[in-house]
Amino acid sequence: FSKGSETNQIRTLAQDTERDKRFFSNSSFGTYNALLPTGLAQKIHRLTEEQILIKELVALSTTEQIRKIRALPVSFEEKKHVRTQAMAFKSSGQSHHFSSLRDFSQNMSLLIRRFGYSIKSVSQSLQLWRGIMKEIGGKFGSSVLNYFVLLKWLLLFNIFSFLVNFGFITIPLLVSDLSPNVSPNVSFRGLELLTGAGYFNYTVMYYGSYSNETFRGLVDYDMQLAYFFTISVYMVLCGLVLIFSMASSFKKNYALADSASNSAWQLLCSWDFSITNEKAVNQRKNNLRIQLKESLSEKAHRERQTTSEQLKQYGIYFGSWLLSTGLAVGCGASIFYLCQYENEVRKTINYPKFRQEAETLLVPFVVSLMNMVIPLFFSLFNKFEQYSSQRKQIYALLFRNVLLRISILGVLCYYWMNTVPQKFTCWEPVVGQALYRLVIVDFIFLMLGSLFGEFLSNVIGTKIQPRLGVPEFDVARNVLEIIYAQTLAWIGIYFSPLLPVIQILKFFILFYLKKVSLTHNCQPPRRSGRAAQMKTIFIFLLFIPFFVGALSIVAYTAWSLTPSEHCGPFRGLNNTFSVTGEWIDDVNKLSSTQWVVWIYQNVIKSEIFYFLITLIILVLIYIFWQLIQGRKELIVLLRKQIVNEGNDKSFLLEKLQNLQKS
Amino acid sequence: MGTTASQLAKDSLSEYQELTFLTKQEILLAHRRFTELLDRDERNHPNPRVPMEVILTLPELKSNPFKTRICQVFSTSEDKDGSLTFEDFLDLLSAFSDSATLEIKSHYAFRIFDFDDDGTLDCGDLEKLVNCLTGETEDTRLSSEEMRQLINNILDESDIDKDGTVNLSEFQHVISRSPDFVSSFKIVL
Repeated sequence: FSKGSETNQIRTLAQDTERDKRFFSNSSFGTYNALLPTGLAQKIHRLTEEQILIKELVALSTTEQIRKIRALPVSFEEKKHVRTQAMAFKSSGQSHHFSSLRDFSQNMSLLIRRFGYSIKSVSQSLQLWRGIMKEIGGKFGSSVLNYFVLLKWLLLFNIFSFLVNFGFITIPLLVSDLSPNVSPNVSFRGLELLTGAGYFNYTVMYYGSYSNETFRGLVDYDMQLAYFFTISVYMVLCGLVLIFSMASSFKKNYALADSASNSAWQLLCSWDFSITNEKAVNQRKNNLRIQLKESLSEKAHRERQTTSEQLKQYGIYFGSWLLSTGLAVGCGASIFYLCQYENEVRKTINYPKFRQEAETLLVPFVVSLMNMVIPLFFSLFNKFEQYSSQRKQIYALLFRNVLLRISILGVLCYYWMNTVPQKFTCWEPVVGQALYRLVIVDFIFLMLGSLFGEFLSNVIGTKIQPRLGVPEFDVARNVLEIIYAQTLAWIGIYFSPLLPVIQILKFFILFYLKKVSLTHNCQPPRRSGRAAQMKTIFIFLLFIPFFVGALSIVAYTAWSLTPSEHCGPFRGLNNTFSVTGEWIDDVNKLSSTQWVVWIYQNVIKSEIFYFLITLIILVLIYIFWQLIQGRKELIVLLRKQIVNEGNDKSFLLEKLQNLQKS
Repeated sequence: MGTTASQLAKDSLSEYQELTFLTKQEILLAHRRFTELLDRDERNHPNPRVPMEVILTLPELKSNPFKTRICQVFSTSEDKDGSLTFEDFLDLLSAFSDSATLEIKSHYAFRIFDFDDDGTLDCGDLEKLVNCLTGETEDTRLSSEEMRQLINNILDESDIDKDGTVNLSEFQHVISRSPDFVSSFKIVL
């Protein structure tokens, strides 16, 4: 794939040197400019090149022509000149017969183009937060901007989820006036906002309040099917969007990028032109100088470690990895025991109801506390280890944090899937409430974390301990926090369809909070570059393990767990997935839609189909892999050809100079 | 041709939209910012040309280390003094905009880095480039030893035909392997 474009480029390079060599050896010009192969600006080739270009342009349609002219690297006047010449050529070369038709079609295409431009400018002005993002990008660079871009993207996911859920699930319920009835002695107290239980339990917030009936009206609206298909279609769409963006990001930033990515050239070429702040520019220059010096000394020092030092290094790595994994597993286990303890306490001791409800906040509190404190230990370990490159350091830190969060979430999900269904009659709302509590407490801790992480560090760094300096915005940690928050929302959609509302509010407030905290408390990051690759890593993290984990939890719930008997849209069924079975039976009764039944039985339910698909995909992967190997060899050969051509070029140059002298 | 008074004619606007990568909003904003740079008598001129010192007062260009080179590259004046007409200004914004192609950006980046305008990046150009980006004063410069080593590293990596200079194709080849380039070669008003 990407190797194809690289081979094409190397081929062009080889052809260019070939052409230069031929031109040079055939002509008697004294000066020789190894210049732009297709440039109009080259004095010698000017007229003939322009004529060739115009001939090319005349053959294209108007839209293609405009696009090609726009992409020419010349000044505006020359572009206009080329365009008028091309249009004159075109109109003079055509017959006069269908002139009115041609005029009409040209006018139509002009109108369509103008319409396209106006749509583009309208959509650009409607973009959310465009001014703020430009300001942040200008002052802090694109790696910090990635955080805010990701936040906005996740917010859009949640808005879409809210619209879909509200439109297809909640509105039919409210309209049909089958809203759940609130038990008379429960009123709204303030505590519900935190715990999600109590009054909220009887509203449309949770799974338990949705009915399983089919509404007869203008159309028959089956609530069961609506609930099931809305949630599953949303998850599938999310997955597809994530896969596509991950693949395109991967292709752009990894496959084409070189492994020697810390090189000086990459650092120099990635100078961020959009930084407008004078202080930021000076800081960038300082940092770049330090990075350049480091890269120079790195190359010198690479082979200087003795064996005993290496052993010590490996010992430190092993120790810190052991400690980190131990910490993560320990946290998971302690959460599990805490959940069990809470369950037993609830059953045995009779506390007043208020206190019981407040105690449900204990587990989310401990989870968020762990998520805030343990990564500090990880950063401490990181300071002791010395990785060979800064990138590996960031990856190691990220991996440990991900491990911590996955283990905690995994333990919680295990508890919810295994023990909760047995203990409660109406268990899905209980899980929904637990997730609601986690989301809210996580939000509170995010705000507190911003306070401690950035505001206090700034105060300490400037006034109390000036040696530490102003803190940097820790992009990796913040991104992981919002990915974790989004995972909670994804798990919770099945159990609480209106959870995206909370998430939307949370992300909205978080955006402004982080922006204010950033501008007041933080300085631009010291090391530049690697922004695009970090973005790929973040999207990759978002997808695997977090999204896939959430999807598998929901899928497991739908597939294997028995829905509760007395509440929710799937009451009375063996598992949620059997709604499709019932639906297919209904569809089977109508003869016009037999093809749906056929697809369901022979494609979705049959194992042979999946086996064949897997086999075909494996074969394709193998073929593409061999293609890539072939391309790699071709690249090596072409590089050698270029070097040879270069040698020929310099040889002929010398020869010409000698001839000129004599 | 250029602009009359302070209003952009409708067909000039559509021509600008077709031949640059900017949207209508961006063109109008650019026109507004450009006319702010002119003084009153210049505004009635059919095609005003703004000298480089005035262009460099724009906040987007003021702190850019390459500000003089940018003006010189995009200028179409005969004496190469870096002065820009409105169309040159639009060219500048178009090359630095979000929708410009990688070829355009790398082409102009090459011309900006080519300090002596000879069509290749030789050691002198590279040295000036490094100094531009690391600092001009005595204590912030790299030592000559470090500079030499750095330039050797750069040429090792990007000079494929081993002629001691980096030409446009080699530069574009290196740029295509640098995924951060497109997002960092950007100036937005």
